[in-house]
Order: sequence, then C-alpha cells, then structure tokens
Amino acid sequence: MQAEETSPQVRRPRAHAARMTHKVSGRLALRQVMPLACLSALLTCLASLLWGAGDVGPWQALQVLAGQGSDQARFVVLELRAPRTLIGMVVGMMLACGGALMQVVARNPLAEPGLLGVSAGASFAVAVALLLGMEATGMHVMVAQSGALLGCLFVMSTVRMSGARQDPVRLVLAGAALSSLLVALTSLALLIDQRAADEIRFWVIGSLAGRSLEALYSSLPSILLAVLLTLWLARPLSAMVLGEQVASGLGHHPKRVRKVAILVVALLVGAATALAGPVAFVGLAVPYVARALCGADVRRTLWLCLPLGVTMLLSADVVSRLVVPPSELPLGVLTTLMGAPVLIAVVRARRLPTL
Amino acid sequence: MTVSSTAFTARGMTRPAWLKQGLMATLAVALMGASLSAEARSVETAYGELDIEGTPQRVVTLYEGALDVAVASQVTPLGTVTTRGGDGVASYIQSQVPDIKIIGTPREFNLEAIVALKPDLILAPPGLDKTQYQLMSRLAPTVVPSASALSQQGWKEQSRVYAEALGETAEAELETRLAAIDAHAARLKAEMTTPETASLVRRMPGGLMAMSDQLFATGLMAASGYELVGGDLVKPGRPHSDPLSDENMARIDAQTIFLATMDDSSDAAVDALAAEPAFQRLETADRDSLVGVNGQLWTSASGPLAAEALLKDIDRARDDG
Amino acid sequence: MSRPSPLDPLRSAPTGTLWWRHGKLSLLLLRAPLLAAGILLLALLMASVASLMLGSAGLGPWDAFKAAFGHGEFATVFVVQELRLPRLLAGIATGAAFSLAGCLMQTLAGNRLATPGIIGIDNGATAFAVASVVGMGISLAPPVMALSGAVIATALAFGLSGGIGTRGYRFLVAGIGVGALFGAGTQLMLARVSIDAANSAYPWTVGSLNARDADSLTWLGLALLIGVPIALWLGRGLNTLRFTDRVATGLGQPVSRVRLITLWLSVVLTAAAVAVAGPVGMVALVGPEIARYLSRHKGVPLLASALAGALVMVLADLAGRTLLSPQEIPVGIVMAVVGSPYLLWILLRSPR
Repeated sequence: MQAEETSPQVRRPRAHAARMTHKVSGRLALRQVMPLACLSALLTCLASLLWGAGDVGPWQALQVLAGQGSDQARFVVLELRAPRTLIGMVVGMMLACGGALMQVVARNPLAEPGLLGVSAGASFAVAVALLLGMEATGMHVMVAQSGALLGCLFVMSTVRMSGARQDPVRLVLAGAALSSLLVALTSLALLIDQRAADEIRFWVIGSLAGRSLEALYSSLPSILLAVLLTLWLARPLSAMVLGEQVASGLGHHPKRVRKVAILVVALLVGAATALAGPVAFVGLAVPYVARALCGADVRRTLWLCLPLGVTMLLSADVVSRLVVPPSELPLGVLTTLMGAPVLIAVVRARRLPTL
Repeated sequence: MTVSSTAFTARGMTRPAWLKQGLMATLAVALMGASLSAEARSVETAYGELDIEGTPQRVVTLYEGALDVAVASQVTPLGTVTTRGGDGVASYIQSQVPDIKIIGTPREFNLEAIVALKPDLILAPPGLDKTQYQLMSRLAPTVVPSASALSQQGWKEQSRVYAEALGETAEAELETRLAAIDAHAARLKAEMTTPETASLVRRMPGGLMAMSDQLFATGLMAASGYELVGGDLVKPGRPHSDPLSDENMARIDAQTIFLATMDDSSDAAVDALAAEPAFQRLETADRDSLVGVNGQLWTSASGPLAAEALLKDIDRARDDG
Repeated sequence: MSRPSPLDPLRSAPTGTLWWRHGKLSLLLLRAPLLAAGILLLALLMASVASLMLGSAGLGPWDAFKAAFGHGEFATVFVVQELRLPRLLAGIATGAAFSLAGCLMQTLAGNRLATPGIIGIDNGATAFAVASVVGMGISLAPPVMALSGAVIATALAFGLSGGIGTRGYRFLVAGIGVGALFGAGTQLMLARVSIDAANSAYPWTVGSLNARDADSLTWLGLALLIGVPIALWLGRGLNTLRFTDRVATGLGQPVSRVRLITLWLSVVLTAAAVAVAGPVGMVALVGPEIARYLSRHKGVPLLASALAGALVMVLADLAGRTLLSPQEIPVGIVMAVVGSPYLLWILLRSPR
C-alpha cells in the first residue's frame, strides 16, 4: 500500500529501489539478525533473573545459575524470579506478535493494540465483569479476550470505513479516541463500585508483580490456539501483502484470513492483558524494529518479534524493579517511555514504511 | 442550637467578609453561650482554638475515627464518609448506624449533601485543606484535629479532640473507654510471658502490602505485647503502606502475621498466602501464624470502638493459637 | 444579486454581514458568527440557571436566583453562593479557556483536530502541575508549573512537526506520542508518592471541578481577561492564516507575529485552565466544532468557541454532579465519555 506520498511521480522510483534493496538485504539479514536478537533476549532474561527487589544480588544469583548458592538464593532465583521472567517472556512475545499481525491486517505500521484501544477493551471488559461480581482468576482470561476482540472488531471496522484505510495515521487517532472512551468508562466503573477499585486499578496500570504461573497456565490453551492459527495464517498473510487480488489468485480467501487474524490478535492481546494488565507500545516498537532490521515480510517479522518482544518487555520490567527498590514502578509506564519515541519517529519518517 | 442560629443571622453578609464573619460568629457564640449560662468549651484544632457550646445534635463526621468516637459516646451522626475501598461504613460499626447517610468518600466530600443535613458540628479529618475548612466553618463549627494519624498514639489525641467537641459526656465516655482499652492491652501484654513477634500486611490483587509500624493497628499490636516486624519496609516518605515483593517476604516473617483484606475474603486470602512457596519457606511463620482480619477495621478505621474490636481480634488470635 | 465591485466604496452590506457606518468609521461584521454567539450565550445562560438549581437539593429558578444574590434561607444561600456559583464560574472560565485555546490552535495548525489536548499540551501541563502538588522538584504554584509543562510540550510537538508540517494527521500522532510520554511521567510520579499525596493530586489526573484552587482560578480569570480581547483583536489576522503565508502577507498581515501571539495565547490559556480543572481536553475539540457548525463555517468563530466551550463544560459538570449523586463523576470523565465518540465520528465521517 502506498501510504502517504506528497509527490509520487518524483519519489516513486527511488522509493521502489529502496524497497528492493531493503528486501534483499532483509533476506540476507534474518540469518544474521536472528542470533543477535536471540542473544539480546537471553541477556535480558539473565538480567531479569539476576536483579530483583530482595537481598539476593547478581553474584549470588549467578552462583545459583551455576548450580551452587544458598538454599534461599536458589529459591528466590528459581521459584520467584524465573516464573516472573517466564510470564514476561510470554507477554512480550504475545504483544509483539499481536502488534505485527494487526499491522498486516490493517495494512498500517501504526496499528498497535495498545494505541488502538484493544488493551483498553480488555481492561474494560474485566472491570465490567468484576462489577457484575465475577471473581475466578481463570475467568479473567476469557473476559479479557472477549473485550479485546470487541475492541479489535470496532477499530478494524473503522479501518474499513470511509477513507481511513488510505490514511494510516487517521486509524491511530480513531484508536486513541476509542481508548480514551474505554479508559473513561473503566474509571467510571471504578467510581461506581469502590470495593472493586483495588482490583480494577490493577487492570488500569499493568504490571508483572505478583502474577502467578497459574494465570499463565489458564491462558495456555488460548495461546496454543493462537499459535496454531498464526502458523496457518503466515502464508496467506504474506500473500495478502502483495495485494488482495494476488492473494485470491493464489487460492487464499482474504476476507476469511483477515477475520482469523483479528481473532488471533484478540486472543494474544487479551491473554497478555489478562496476565500483565494493559501494556502499551510493545506491539508498535517491536515490529517496527523487526521490520527495520529485516524487511517487511510477515513471516520474518513474526519470527523476529519473538526474541525482540522478550527483550523489550523484560528490559522494561528489570528497569521497573531497579529504579526504586524495594518497590517497583508500573510496567506500562516504562514501555510507554520506551515506545512513544518510536511512535514519533515512525510518523516523522518521510514516507511511512509500507506494508 | 445556638451555633446554627448565629450562622442564620449571618446570612445577609457579603462574600468577601466571610473570614471576619467566622470570627464574629465565634464571638456571638461566646456571648450567647454566656447569656445561656452554659460554658463554651474551647477546642484546640489544627486551625486554632474553636469555641463550641452545648451538646451538638446534628453531627456530620468526615473521618472514620470521628464516626467511631461519636458512636462510642451515643451520638448518632447524620452523615459520614465511606470506609476506604467500600460502599458504606466499616462493617464493625455498621449495625450501630444503620440509617446513616453517606456523603462522600475519604477522598472527596459532597458539600451539598452536608449542607442538606443542616449540621451543627462537623468532625473533619486531620489534614483537611484550608479552603475546604473555611467553607465548612460557615456551615457549622468544623473540628480538624492537629495530631497526625501516622503515629502509634495519634489516634487517641484525635479522639480526644473529637470528644471534646461533642461535649462533656462524650469526653468522660471516651476517657473511660481509653482506660479500658489500655487495661485490655496491658492484660494481653502481661499474658504474653515471652514477647512474640508479629507483623501486619494487606493483601491486594497485585500482591502483599507491608503496613507501617506507625499506625493505629500496629500501635495496638505493640501495646498488647507484640514485637513489631517489617514496619521498616515502609519508608518515611510513604507513610501508610508499600508493596511487598515476594522476595522480601522474610522481612515480615513473624510468629503472628495479621493478614488484612478490604472485603470479607480474609479466609481465602489466608489460604492463598499459605499456599505460596515464598511463604512456605519462612522460618518462623507457618499456616497457623496467619490471622485473617478485616482491613476495614485494621487498616482503615481508628477510634475507641475500633480499638475494642481490634483487641478482641487479638484475643481470638491468642485463643486459637 | 448586485455586489459592489471591490474597487467601489461599500454602498450596502454584503449578504451575510452587518454593516454600520458613521461618518468615516465603519464596522463590518459577519452575521452568522454573531448569531451563533447569541444563541450560545442564551444557551449558556439557561445552563447556568440549571446548574444553580440542580444538585443534592433541587431549587426553583426563582429561589436559585434570589439565593445567588444572598436572599433566602441560609442553607440555600450557602449552597448557591458558596458551592454552586463558584463552581459554575470555574466551569465557564475553564470551558471558555480550553475551547478558545483549541480554536486558536486549530487555526494556527490549519487542522481541525489539532487541539492542545490531542497534541499533548494538556498532559504536559498536568505532569508539571502534579509534580508541584505532590511536592517533587521546584515547589512553584500549580499554574506556573502547568505553564512551564505546557510550553515544553508545545515546543516538543511543534519542534517535532518540523519535517511533517502541522496540517496532516501525522502531526497529531506525533503529538499523541508526546502526550503519552508526559502521561507516563505523571503515572511515574503518582506511583512514587504516598497515598495521601496521590489522592490530593487525583483531581489533576482525571479533570475535576470539585477541588478548585482559588488562586489558580484567579490566574485563569486574569488570563481570560487579557486573552479574550487579544484573541478577538487577532480575529482578522487569524482568518488569513488559512491562506498561504504569501497571500496573508499580501493581505497586510504580519504572519509570523500573528502566529507567535496565537501560539502563546493558546498555550497560556490551556495551562491556566489545566491548573484549575485538570486535563479536560475534549472541550477544546467539541466547543469550536459546535461554534463552527452554528456559525456555518464562516470565519474563525473565536467568541462563539469560547461560549460553546463554557456551555459544554457547564453541562458536563452538571451531569457529573447529578447523575450518580451523592457520588461525583469528575467532569473529565464525563467529557471523555461524550467527546471521544464525537471525535470518532468526525474521523470516520470526514473524507480525506
């Protein structure tokens, strides 16, 4: 898709050439980039295991990883930090892939679940469920996912409406409007029922603190479903990037593909929100970096999103623990601080990268 | 009531004159008080001396500690604020004020609703800001205690200020109760032959919160002989409570851990905490050390009735343990 | 229709205008904006009366009117004079300031969605005001801090618009990014201070008229007293900002000076309003939109915008006060619930 070109006649040949070289270098790059990305993911995982709020310092933690260390240190590293790291990894991967998929479906590099109101939809659904008296933790995943799905459907239907598809930036505005509406409604729910306030506040801010592995287990089935669907989607989606007619010509059904992709986005973002609360900008910054590193191909982007998502989310989480020990900063705040500059950089780019 | 009638005479005044008017009202109260041969009491508040005369009939409390003092001295307030994180008053005092009108939350009061109650005494929270104070003083004498809630004994000072404003009967009643509370705590302390350690935490959806040791509840715990643990987790800049990381669970390890929840789910919270691996590793505490308590009483309320209820909780914990 | 040629002296008023001439002096006014201002003024009056009447205890219009001038029962007079009237005035002042600032910014950026709230200025002002309230950094009064925050956010938003101009949607999204950064900063501060301090900063984070600071309101009043006349004086200059700079200069307007004054005016008004009511940025979108609709998109409806903003703010606060009584809904939440769908509608309706 041609995003926004002020003088297409003049710029097109150059842009085309740029894209060609981009693709070639991208193809070459994935093999080189992937190990580096995995290494950075590993390093942040390690950092997440080494630093924490308690007395167990990096050196002791290293000893534990080397198979030694005191019993207490072993416990802290293996039983407390490791699950949190695991949850952070999963959330990071889900948000990054959700963002990448959404960007392909919306054909818009700015389509970020957090910005477009998908996370806000999930939070709002959970707030309403809590108001209605639901409690079971397992329930939250389903509720959050249905809220995310509603938010997704709404925002995607605005994409289809008048002209928003030709203008990637307008979609973001519509999403921001939807987010602010949903956030306001969630605050309203918070006002109406003071008892749920503590519980709902968690759904407004977003954090990895105090999340148990049970929450992860309860969202595993939906994550598995999302992974299977993504595997099925990968080929038709990359065909759709070439244009819907091409995709139809290759025997795919663009409409069906788009619907399934939206479902996957909702599953991923809903589960991530159920696990960590709303965490914005991961779905924007990570796919952006992935595309910048190895080109716009959907499959490569998705692969690269896995380690890069882990890197971004966990580094934000580690920083959130380190700044003001023994307490923590909200995770969503840190991802915003990291991701908002990327948003600004993307809109400021001379021509928006096309998908 | 004299106070409100002086206020009524003052209604023709123009707005800029309201500071002066407050002084005049005070003066008028003093004069009328003298003429009615009842002595005006002078109450020391955060905004200076306040003269109150007679027994207030229409009391509005904007602080849980004030509600507690009023109810303890058989004054039923007309309106009050909700408990922190609840829709009504704290459950320990609910049955004694079934018809009380809710006129706000600890965070925000609805002034119009206060006016509608036509109060003759407003018992306001410590730290009420000056603008609000001046506004409320035009409605009725407004008592803002100067003692901070963030000390172990501060609640007693606050209660005395409220009781003084409520009248001599209330003062006498409060002193009796405070003496009984001290005696009760002293008895609990005497029963404890070797000092036991104890800590107070709150359970929130995001994890545990360590509570400061400079609070109403921790003060009573100390008075009943417990050696407080974990209060140092709450830094001076954060007076009430601070999130407790699982990694720091050992810092609240004690022979008795009072676990507060803001609703009725304390049993579930005890089970959940007892099942956590980080808890199971604690050296001193085990499942029996955990005492589930009501957070509305333990971490939000203050006052003589709350103190009695809280000491009863401690009694029960000792009997079970 | 016989229109006089531009070279002829004006013989009769062109259609849609009012024209007075007295000797050598003449005054030519567009009729539609005037009419709009009239309608809005009337509506604002009605809304004001309603907001004096309605609340925990309802009053008749006559009682409310008498009480506003100090006649009637003490409780009634107190409620009207001390509670509802100051709040009404604060609502009118903040609504007018937000909306006027919005209209100015939209005209300046040549973009009807470029309101201070959307491009992050509200959030900048809020972050700094909150910093002042929770006692972080320099302890200046909230209005001063809000102004410095607003100036920094404006500098960022416009500085970043360098390569992309201000007319398109990109400018807005860059502004959303700036706003997100400041919003995160506010969250960061609130997460670090004690619960009590966070509670006292709460009105600034959602936007509320309940806990107004009298000093900040005075500052806002001053800003409006100076700002509104300047804005009206700028009126014609603003009209020409719609054209290219060359045309505007050709029409005899010192373009860069007009721009600079407009920008400062918008920033100062927004900051002063945020210091009173917190970020209620949606007013800046909805107010000018109503004004433009009523004045049939002729000229830059500054006066009508201010009135429409005041009207919207008063109505939103009235709804917030009465819907869940005795519980209050902060006006910022009401405005977000009403304004966001409206923003969506604008976005979806308008073709590229």
